Amino acid sequence: MKKSLMTAAASLLVVSLTACSTGKTGESSTNPAASGTPQASKAPKEMKLKIGLPGSYDVTKKEIIDGFIAKFPNIKTEIVEAPWGDFATKITTEIAGGTAPDIWFQENAVILGYGSRGVAEDLTPYIKKDLKEADYISGLYAAKASNGKVYGIPHGINPVALAYNKKMFTDAGVPLPTDNWTYQDMIDTAKKLTKDTNGDGKPDQYGFAASVGITQGWYPWARSQGGQVLDESKTKAMFTDPKSIAGIKAWADLVKTGISPDADFLKVAGGEWKAFASNKAAMFFMQYSNQALINKEFASLDYDTVMMPKGADGKRVVPIVTNSWVIFSKAKQDAKDAAWEFLKYYLSEEAQTVLAKSGASIPVQKNAITKLDANANPKNKKAFSEGIAQAGVTTDENPSWQEWRLAAQPIFVDILGQKLAPEEGMKQIQDKVQKVLDQNK
Amino acid sequence: MRNEARWGYLLTLPFSLNLLVFFAFPFFFSLYLTFTQWDMFNAPDWIGGRNWSRLIQDASFWYSLRNILLFAAIFVPLQTILALVLAYFLNQSIRGKSFYRMLYFLPVVTPWLAGGTMWGWLLNKTYGMVNYMLTSLSLPPVDWLDSKQWWLPITSVALVNVWKGVGSSMVILLAAIQGVPKDLYEAASLEGANRWSVFWRIVFPLVSPMIFLVLVLSTISAFQAFDVFLVMFDSPNVVPDSKVTPNILIYKDAFLTTKMGYASAMSWALFIVILAVTLVQKRFEKRWVHYE
Repeated sequence: MKKSLMTAAASLLVVSLTACSTGKTGESSTNPAASGTPQASKAPKEMKLKIGLPGSYDVTKKEIIDGFIAKFPNIKTEIVEAPWGDFATKITTEIAGGTAPDIWFQENAVILGYGSRGVAEDLTPYIKKDLKEADYISGLYAAKASNGKVYGIPHGINPVALAYNKKMFTDAGVPLPTDNWTYQDMIDTAKKLTKDTNGDGKPDQYGFAASVGITQGWYPWARSQGGQVLDESKTKAMFTDPKSIAGIKAWADLVKTGISPDADFLKVAGGEWKAFASNKAAMFFMQYSNQALINKEFASLDYDTVMMPKGADGKRVVPIVTNSWVIFSKAKQDAKDAAWEFLKYYLSEEAQTVLAKSGASIPVQKNAITKLDANANPKNKKAFSEGIAQAGVTTDENPSWQEWRLAAQPIFVDILGQKLAPEEGMKQIQDKVQKVLDQNK
Repeated sequence: MRNEARWGYLLTLPFSLNLLVFFAFPFFFSLYLTFTQWDMFNAPDWIGGRNWSRLIQDASFWYSLRNILLFAAIFVPLQTILALVLAYFLNQSIRGKSFYRMLYFLPVVTPWLAGGTMWGWLLNKTYGMVNYMLTSLSLPPVDWLDSKQWWLPITSVALVNVWKGVGSSMVILLAAIQGVPKDLYEAASLEGANRWSVFWRIVFPLVSPMIFLVLVLSTISAFQAFDVFLVMFDSPNVVPDSKVTPNILIYKDAFLTTKMGYASAMSWALFIVILAVTLVQKRFEKRWVHYE
């Protein structure tokens, strides 16, 4: 009965919410421009701000938060931490109970769902009032919904690029990848790099480590032959498009033909990035944030990156993910102002430079991007920053992203695990995803 | 008299309030929610029977019921029989009795995360110890947790669940067996009864109410299996239909995609199934359970 009890508890919370929210709605819709932010000339107003941090300081930077606290002594800051895994559940019940933090960050795609439910504050007026658009890359608008409202501020952008292990390439006498590579070039080279070094009939060195996830795995592959996942309006699934199927077939073939290790191998190796870093796979689609782990645990590894390969139609697709900060729509206006004050600080060159140096993600502030650490591996940071500029796309995020992705993912696991033919699997995914999209119209 | 009644109500008030607020209210509220669409933020929208008609067409939900029925069919009898046998033997005067009792109880106190992770490794297709032993006996390796045949992973998980749960059932049954009066054994041995008939004629009938209790409890827990599946099939959010349980679906809809109405409908459907199974067990109770 544990789950039903939790449901019950959640239900209880909402009753108290509906009871006390009726009186408050007028207050929270106050025009943010009218209440204003503290001016330098006036004595700063005392404010309270509750910041929610999933995954605690591993993913943000303590320096930035400390810097904010030092700069704004008038804002009494309270930090609530929770591990990533539990955060979704925790925040859901807190949102229902109206006790969520004033500001927190979560996966960007989830935030679009918050926007459509009215949980997230629309940040468009704040941005218009206080930010100079020219200072930021387009990634600033990663949380823009189709209705034009912006529901979040990126914590930083995490694009994907092709990482290669230099030593494995030179040992095999194969030329290094370039920004002009196509998927076919990559597959052909991966074949040359796959080897059975101890002669037991099974390869123990692979050309490419395929990921089963969305961003580094099936999403870029589905689009590699010119296919699509959702259509432009994000209301129609395109998984049975022959080009999408062809892309997924190429992805599944990586494991089928033995160019890429299977799930069991990767599990034992500790994931794609570890297989790559321990010289067991020569290439993989690397998310920018992977470098922090690789550089920490495999400091001597000689590797670099190039931009994502071009698709069969000559077009490049660079999937980006971001976690975004949201301001809770039911927070008091004071707290919202304080939260925006925090976000303004977060987007300042000072804080964004801290983010750039941390290597955790690409900042959205243009000046800070020039401060990416070019001495730390991978040295070619342009593979990421240029990649975003040329071809950065989200993984077809829309308000029901979480739901349709959850519906599709297990089937993709079976396709890559060779349990399901790509054609059949894509048909099943098409049905499931379309159903989700229709239900959320 | 009236005064006494007033005191009675007053003194039971904390309990009654607890019952009303935390059990009765959520119970009926979730029933109401099954007829609504509720995102836990805005007020629930009345949508009539749409959640229920969706439930009937929802293949994932039917798969989850199929999985959980097989899981219960393997887990419940196996665990109960094993617990009874263990309890019977551990009640005898054998060497190192308390050591064995501890050994069988150890998995109960092991956290699922640790136990499940260990079994995940043992049953890994390519690198697991179990398949290593099979291949060294020249038997083919088995894909325990990831087979195309849906029943195999469910069976594996049911067996792991027996490993985890047998200790607690055993303790209940051991206590019951220890309650069997000594003079009955003495009388039986005077009559020249062997161990087998002592067990069937004396021990079993006397502890049968406890066995019934263990059966009902483990059936209910089987239908609510959640953590065992999540830990064994490693990605909580992406369990495929062939390995899903109703509680995982309920969790996903309630907390990951905030469809509380539909999650409530699934909870109620699960409640009805458990109620039906328990009633069937209750019906057969008279045939074999013996109350003094």
